[in-house]
Amino acid sequence: MPEQPFDQDRAIAGTGMGGAMDLAATEAETLERTPGGPLGTGPGARPRSLWSDAWRDLRRNPVFVVSALVILFLVVISLWPSLIASGSPLACDLAKAQEGSQPGAPFGYDGQGCNVYTRTVYGARTSVTVGVCATLGVALLGSVLGGLAGFFGGFWDSVLSRITDVFFAIPVVLGGLVLLSVVTSNTVWPVIGFMVLLGWPQISRIARGSVITARQNDYVQAARALGASNSRVLLRHIAPNAVAPVIVVATIALGTYIALEATLSYLGVGLKPPSVSWGIDISAASPYIRNAPHALLWPSGALALTVLAFIMLGDAVRDALDPKLR
Amino acid sequence: MRSATHARGAVCAVVVALAATACGGGGGSGGGGGESGVLSSSWGDPQNPLEPANTNEVQGGKVLDMIFRGLKKYDPKTGNATDMLAQKIDTSDSQNFTITVKDGWTFSNGEKVTAKSFVDAWNYGASLRNNQKNAYFFGYIQGYDKVHPAGGSQSADTLSGLKVVDDRTFTVRLNQKFSGFPDTLGYAAFAPLPQSFFTDHAGWLAQPVGDGPYRIESYTKGSQMSLKKWDGYPGGDKAQNAGVDLKVYTDSDTAYTDLIAGNLDLVDDVPASQLKNVKSDLGGRYINTPAGIIQTLAFPYYDSAWNNSGAQKVRTGLSMAINRKQITDTIFQNTRTPATDWTSPVLGTDGGFKEGLCGSACDYNPAEAKRLIREGGGLPGGQLKITYNADTGSHRMWVDAVCNSINNALGNDKACVGNPVGTFADFRNQIGQHKMTGPFRAGWQMDYPLIQNFLQPLYYTDASSNDGKWSDKDFDRLVDQANAQTDTAKAVSAFQQAEEVVRDNMAAIPLWYQNGSAGYSERLSNVALNPFSVPVYNEIKVS
Repeated sequence: MPEQPFDQDRAIAGTGMGGAMDLAATEAETLERTPGGPLGTGPGARPRSLWSDAWRDLRRNPVFVVSALVILFLVVISLWPSLIASGSPLACDLAKAQEGSQPGAPFGYDGQGCNVYTRTVYGARTSVTVGVCATLGVALLGSVLGGLAGFFGGFWDSVLSRITDVFFAIPVVLGGLVLLSVVTSNTVWPVIGFMVLLGWPQISRIARGSVITARQNDYVQAARALGASNSRVLLRHIAPNAVAPVIVVATIALGTYIALEATLSYLGVGLKPPSVSWGIDISAASPYIRNAPHALLWPSGALALTVLAFIMLGDAVRDALDPKLR
Repeated sequence: MRSATHARGAVCAVVVALAATACGGGGGSGGGGGESGVLSSSWGDPQNPLEPANTNEVQGGKVLDMIFRGLKKYDPKTGNATDMLAQKIDTSDSQNFTITVKDGWTFSNGEKVTAKSFVDAWNYGASLRNNQKNAYFFGYIQGYDKVHPAGGSQSADTLSGLKVVDDRTFTVRLNQKFSGFPDTLGYAAFAPLPQSFFTDHAGWLAQPVGDGPYRIESYTKGSQMSLKKWDGYPGGDKAQNAGVDLKVYTDSDTAYTDLIAGNLDLVDDVPASQLKNVKSDLGGRYINTPAGIIQTLAFPYYDSAWNNSGAQKVRTGLSMAINRKQITDTIFQNTRTPATDWTSPVLGTDGGFKEGLCGSACDYNPAEAKRLIREGGGLPGGQLKITYNADTGSHRMWVDAVCNSINNALGNDKACVGNPVGTFADFRNQIGQHKMTGPFRAGWQMDYPLIQNFLQPLYYTDASSNDGKWSDKDFDRLVDQANAQTDTAKAVSAFQQAEEVVRDNMAAIPLWYQNGSAGYSERLSNVALNPFSVPVYNEIKVS
């Protein structure tokens, strides 16, 4: 993801959208609203912002529509899996081991006689939870730390940059094996914590770069000149203009976190049974690939589809927010 | 010795994880069509250097079996101990033994095998200073408590019970009567050692020298060990092939794939997931024979939740909640047999195997299981966690199946869960530190084919492999009586009485007897597994 500046005009318009303008607008803010820009607002028309432009683009993008529908479906079955799958994912009958598709079990049974369909549906919850929570954690931590470092610069900026370098140097799978193998908890939280720990430097770098760019803009200088406090400048003027690249990268990263959860669970250090996760099921089914390939293919297919949906959504969002790349 | 697959598995999990390409071992040279008369076989790096008294896992044991011959040898078919280097072992009281070594035996470096070769080796193995894993095998010999005290430092360097009489004769005095003692002498820990072992220890470790039908030509850790036939071998069981290349595999699936692809001649651990395909893949080139291995679930008796009167009912109930037949059929494709006692069929009925000794407690009966567990106060902590090492695939398969069986019997999805530990080494450490809170996987591979070996090391108070710290006065008394019996039949029946004590307390839940399974290439013939599930390498013919 490039860390290039956004168009000045769009950035100006973006300010208006980023937060509700308070009525007692400062002169600096008035300055920003210099009329006559290319995207200038005609009388009576709603102001066109980066975000409304992006939303208009997205609605017309079939890639976005399809991936959003897939994700919506995944979110719904994560919240209410019993809507489409009856029975418990933990109910297994060895007598049915490796049996193929049949009524009540459209995806067949795995090596332990568990219903693959039920387990695949219930597995979505883990993936969506891990993906969403890890992304939120990474985005919050990364953009706060990166933003502060970029805004204040100086000593702490250097320290933070070196820390990010250190974290970048840790191989993710190796780190997961070392850190997660000592965890005995059987919930998603250690996995999410691990992803946040290793994922924040990426966002932090991007946030830092875009904050540095935004900081140099005239309206920020103007706000400063008029005596706006650091926090006001950060929150009102810089954050709204710097947040777009973070959103783009985080959306794409969401898919990779889901894949990483499956990887770690496959290796036995992520989630552990009786948790239900696609990674666990893929790992359990892989030795049986010759005799019961369906037990491997369905959870793998679900995983691939989910990761693809999130990555395509991220792509679509990037196209919409960063027209230069088009 | 513990069951077959761990040392290899422990290495694999890490390697697979760090570099997904690394599993698969040496590859390249050798293989199915290698040097004429030399066969290649799957293997794993031994845990320790190949000192006989320090090797208690199967992979190192395989090599020792090829490069050493001891006083006794276990018949590859029957498992009976027969004289090898022993000309005769005399005793009148089952406590004092006079051992005469055959004439004409040498090590492969030309040195003569004498009585001193044995006595020095045993003293080395027993000494606390040398920290040998199998030291406890010498625990019956008088003076062991001085050489290897339970605490503090040793007050003697040699066992007072061992005396060299002349070049070919030595005497052994035990600290208690043990009629089965001569039959234990086929175990690798009792092998003789050449003087070079003591004078140039590092050199010996780099290239071990023994008195068996093979000698080690080269060893590259993590890749392969080449063994060549020793032409000067004086014994009757000479190698029928020119040599064996043991290739390191960290994953039994990869080894099996290499066998099918023609890159490997012999796989002695067919992965459970491939058992369904062996018939179509290999036809008749597949062996499935009983081995002296039993799998059980042990319990932590240091945890008061498992050490009370109600817990005995819970354990019996759990035993009845496990559908052994279905699991051995479905998961193991009949390469395991549901266990009905605590020994192994390879002992034979004369040797102490008693089918059905467990009685109804080992029969699948979900209704009775549920009742017993409820009467016993329910599962301690409300949930059962079966701890096992996850680095070998098959363990996870059967633990999941056992848990599902228990869950179905109790009508509760979450009554039982598997609790995987990443590596075998960590699993053993946690057991050693008494960290278990519920049942844990306990596999036992016999060291020598005696009923004593299936009971005493596992259930005697504070015995070396009594991991759950079970203790019962009646059991201890019966074992002592059995050991003192000079008549074999009476000793066996006394051991069986002790086994009944294990049953009545359900000290450990017997699961199944494990078979040895192996597949081999078209180049090989006369392939067999001995009762320890190790291929009888010296008899294999290569075309």
